[in-house]
Amino acid sequence: MSNLSTTRPSLIQLALGAAGVAGLLWGVWSLLDDGVGALVSLGIWLAGAILVHDAILAPLTVVITLVVAKFLPPAARMPTVVAAIIWAACSIAFVSVLTGHAFKAGNETIGGRPYTLAWIIFTVLLAAGATLASLLRARRLGSR
Amino acid sequence: MRLPTVEDIEARIPRPEHFDESRRGLATTSRVGTALGIAFGICFLTGMWSHFQYTDPGWLPIGPNPAWLYRVTQGLHIISGTAAVPLILVKLWSVYPHLFKRPPGEKRELVLEGLSRASIGLLVASSLFMLASGTLNIAGWYAWDFSFRRTHEAVAWIAIGSLVLHIGVKLPLIRAGLGTSIKDSPAGDSPVDDPIGGDDSTGGTSRRALLAATGAASGLAVLLTAGQTVPFLRRVSVFSVRSGEGPQDLPINRTAKSAGAIAGATSPDFVLELVGGGQTLSMTLDDLRALPQVTRTLPIACVEGWSRSAEWTGIPVRDLIALVGAKPRSTVQFRSTQTRGAFASSELPAEFVQDGRTLLALKLNGETLSVDHGFPCRLIAPNRPGVMQTKWVTKMEVVA
Repeated sequence: MSNLSTTRPSLIQLALGAAGVAGLLWGVWSLLDDGVGALVSLGIWLAGAILVHDAILAPLTVVITLVVAKFLPPAARMPTVVAAIIWAACSIAFVSVLTGHAFKAGNETIGGRPYTLAWIIFTVLLAAGATLASLLRARRLGSR
Repeated sequence: MRLPTVEDIEARIPRPEHFDESRRGLATTSRVGTALGIAFGICFLTGMWSHFQYTDPGWLPIGPNPAWLYRVTQGLHIISGTAAVPLILVKLWSVYPHLFKRPPGEKRELVLEGLSRASIGLLVASSLFMLASGTLNIAGWYAWDFSFRRTHEAVAWIAIGSLVLHIGVKLPLIRAGLGTSIKDSPAGDSPVDDPIGGDDSTGGTSRRALLAATGAASGLAVLLTAGQTVPFLRRVSVFSVRSGEGPQDLPINRTAKSAGAIAGATSPDFVLELVGGGQTLSMTLDDLRALPQVTRTLPIACVEGWSRSAEWTGIPVRDLIALVGAKPRSTVQFRSTQTRGAFASSELPAEFVQDGRTLLALKLNGETLSVDHGFPCRLIAPNRPGVMQTKWVTKMEVVA
């Protein structure tokens, strides 16, 4: 266990552990009434979530950060990383509207905004902010 | 050429010490984790409150007051869930190196390590599932074969249970991390991922900058989507699924066409059946219009997080059921003409029925209800989820 303490757990820890296990079991118990098809679909989602994160998103982050470190001058690294965190995290949060799945034919009140244009503007503003911050930092650090 | 051995492959897989810890570490993980825990806590409590609206456990004071309560709780549910998306991504990034820790050789330690990893795997999977399925539900994107409401509720228990268990196990580390300065620690000797840490004076990305970026991402994700719940953010929230606009100044979740309600709702033979006390009254739309009408301003708030206040005109439900001799404190079942989708009927508890603001509405914002808003008549009650505000009502039955 990566961070297991060798000391005895405190009463608070034991209480939290017991409450956590109880909640977890209740959740599993609640699922047992579902049919096999529903459980298989849920299993695919749960396994897929870990797979997408651990095998795609996380390694991609490592590669991108290596690229940033290799090709960007020191003054541009921090603004680029900050902008990239904001851009990537927000883009993931907006995925349903950016992929067009929010739009419902015959219901103009759902998904009726120019999301792609908004996302392009969002991206350009972040890139402009990162560039400006990089220039200011370069001047302050005395190197480009 | 010899085939690579297990040892060869193992040697190529990075180890935790190969990752740069200058911006990760306890100080980062504990702070982002605490923010994530708070967001998840709010999300869980408001989510359970929403589920209890559908299946009243009996011990909760669920009633019509205050009229805005569900609007606020469900708005908070969506806002805290949205805020959690950047937080969980950074939290997982901060502990990613632990994934590469080699299993211990000793049997007992191996079992403990396996249990620990299994519980963390369950926490990660259920947390990502909750955020992903919730985000897709807001847009009405159902890419699965299970019931969203049932499964979202059950997995919420798994997520919060494994989170509380995780906090219990890591409590000493969380305390230590929160007590540690966020000032940067030196980078390792041979980091394989971003060797761009370090402090601001050297051009590195400081831990402070990382935490600020995480906070900014969370704040922006909320700001750019919360307008469907928070009226003054409507113009700013360019990524919200609903703009807040719609016919008669109100968005629509399910149109009459998609609910298969057009034929029944627009039929010239429409009558409302009012059943109670052993008698049945059949009332035409003109009969309903001839009854004394009242106007009330009430919010409509949906499980997807959007809400909007509107002016509703109609007959108080308690006055209608009095026509069949029922007392104001009665439970009434509403049935819709809709032929497709869930929520074709709903049961309105007595606490709502006896409230004078609960209406069988005929008008919305001064105009006759549009067919997508429930023409010829619909239920509107204070502090009640939108899907339970039955549209295209064709039958009202006093059941208790």
